[in-house]
Amino acid sequence: MSFEVADQEFVAIVGPSGCGKSTILNMLGGLVTPSAGAIEVDGGPVTDVPRKVGYVFQKDTVFPWRTVRRNVALGLEYRGVRGTELETRVREGVRLAGLEGFEDAFPATLSGGMRQRVALMRTLVVNPEILLMDEPFGALDTHTKLSLHAELLTLWEARHQTVVFVTHDLSEAITLADRVIVMTRRPGRIKLVHDVPIPRPRDVIKLRETEEYAHEYSVMWHVLGEELGAPGGVQGDMRTGAGSRLVSGHPQSAPGARPSLQ
Amino acid sequence: MSDRGRVLFWRLLILVVLVGAWEWLTGIKAISKTPGLYWIDPFFISRPSVIVKRFAYLASGEVRLSIWAMALSTVQSTLWGFVVGVSTGFAAGLGLGRHDRLARVFEPYIIAFNSLPRIALVPLVTMIFGFGLLAKIVLAWTIVFFIVFFNTFQGARSVDADLIHSARFLGASERQVVRTVIVPSALAWTFAALTPSVSFALIGVVVGEFLGGESGGGLGYLIIQSLGTLNAADMMVALLTLGVIGIVMALGIKQVERRLLRWRPEYRKGP
Ligand SMILES: Nc1ncnc2c1ncn2[C@@H]1O[C@H](COP(=O)(O)OP(=O)(O)O)[C@@H](O)[C@H]1O
Ligand SMILES: [Mg+2]
Repeated sequence: MSFEVADQEFVAIVGPSGCGKSTILNMLGGLVTPSAGAIEVDGGPVTDVPRKVGYVFQKDTVFPWRTVRRNVALGLEYRGVRGTELETRVREGVRLAGLEGFEDAFPATLSGGMRQRVALMRTLVVNPEILLMDEPFGALDTHTKLSLHAELLTLWEARHQTVVFVTHDLSEAITLADRVIVMTRRPGRIKLVHDVPIPRPRDVIKLRETEEYAHEYSVMWHVLGEELGAPGGVQGDMRTGAGSRLVSGHPQSAPGARPSLQ
Repeated sequence: MSDRGRVLFWRLLILVVLVGAWEWLTGIKAISKTPGLYWIDPFFISRPSVIVKRFAYLASGEVRLSIWAMALSTVQSTLWGFVVGVSTGFAAGLGLGRHDRLARVFEPYIIAFNSLPRIALVPLVTMIFGFGLLAKIVLAWTIVFFIVFFNTFQGARSVDADLIHSARFLGASERQVVRTVIVPSALAWTFAALTPSVSFALIGVVVGEFLGGESGGGLGYLIIQSLGTLNAADMMVALLTLGVIGIVMALGIKQVERRLLRWRPEYRKGP
């Protein structure tokens, strides 16, 4: 498979569980070396974890022994930012994440959504040019997910990072991305590359009621359905509720299913 | 009554009942006409009233080696053995835990040394380090080191790889990864080893004192001396003092643990 992501583009990768989405992201992030083929970022090969890349994992990777404030501060501390600058930028980050009042809370006291906000803001506060996100909202409930979509879009409109966003949730991909890459079942190939012409800024709630959204959804849902391969797999309600999860029978998050990666 | 008050009440009650029963049972004769025959013979376990008297005597200035001096010697060697054992055990556990090949090289030696009964080392250690403080510290160290080492080793190995990856993506250098990810996550394991470590440090020290003679001093010396004179009261004084030392040290560790691990849900509520 081969694909390119343009500068400042928001690309989503959708595909059945186990098709290699995380593997792609890990190769982009320099965590995994490809056994064949090449990955280039800015025209150069990826050899190590690149400095300009931010990575948000599906799994909760907020440091449990650090408070919210000190988690957000991590990247800045690593870069040697100190004193008032550190303080100002951390305060700004905490505010943008909507976590004011929880600065001194330890992660164990926060909800899953709040923790993922911390993880997101911790990554954004160092201004990465490239953002890799591996099903960052996969473990969250629909409401929390929607509000985080809105926040992510707002933050992205402001900075326009280059984003590669992995998900198994088609509606999430359409809501967020400029372009959606649909992958085939294992072994993963690119099945379809689809532009999402929905104008920005997007309203994550209203969006779902529009004709455009329904159209995009049905086009890609059909293609994905072929990948699921189950007889009659794509019948049923395509637009509402039941349709919003792609592979509902395959929980994506089982750890240990990918021992070599995560 | 508050929950804490109730717990305290029961603790005190048990203490009073135990001490009272001890005093009473060692005071009544089994055969009233025959002197020296007791239900429970105070010759072996002494009596609280006698112990208190002996304690007061041993604590006074009249004796050459007061109970305070002996307790101090024991506490000093225990603390030193503990500190040296914990720090070396932690460093070694972290080092080998993060370097697989090194761990494989050292594995047979560590297992061999650790399976050696430490008591068997006492004569050798005494021969090398003499009858003083140093021998006791070394003995405590040989035990504490391994307890802390094995726990930290496990902790360092089980650090979540994704936490390390996140740190790297946030720009951490190798050293920053160690400081901000590996040490804090290993610490939780290390702490689990600290309370038993205090008891084991005490074991090492007291065993050393059994052999150390008067120059080593300490409560172990008092115990061995009391055996020589068949003095159960002095022995009890030494044992009770050791118990108090153990409790105080364990509580101290709990406090430090509570402070350093306050991010864990089980410590969230204040003391
Ligand atoms: N192209 C590939 N070549 C070799 N192994 C692959 C490839 N794609 C995926 N895998 C393996 O399949 C498993 C699942 O891949 P993963 O990237 O976690 O899938 P996803 O994130 O889409 O669920 C992993 O163990 C990975 O090593
Ligand atoms: Mg995955």
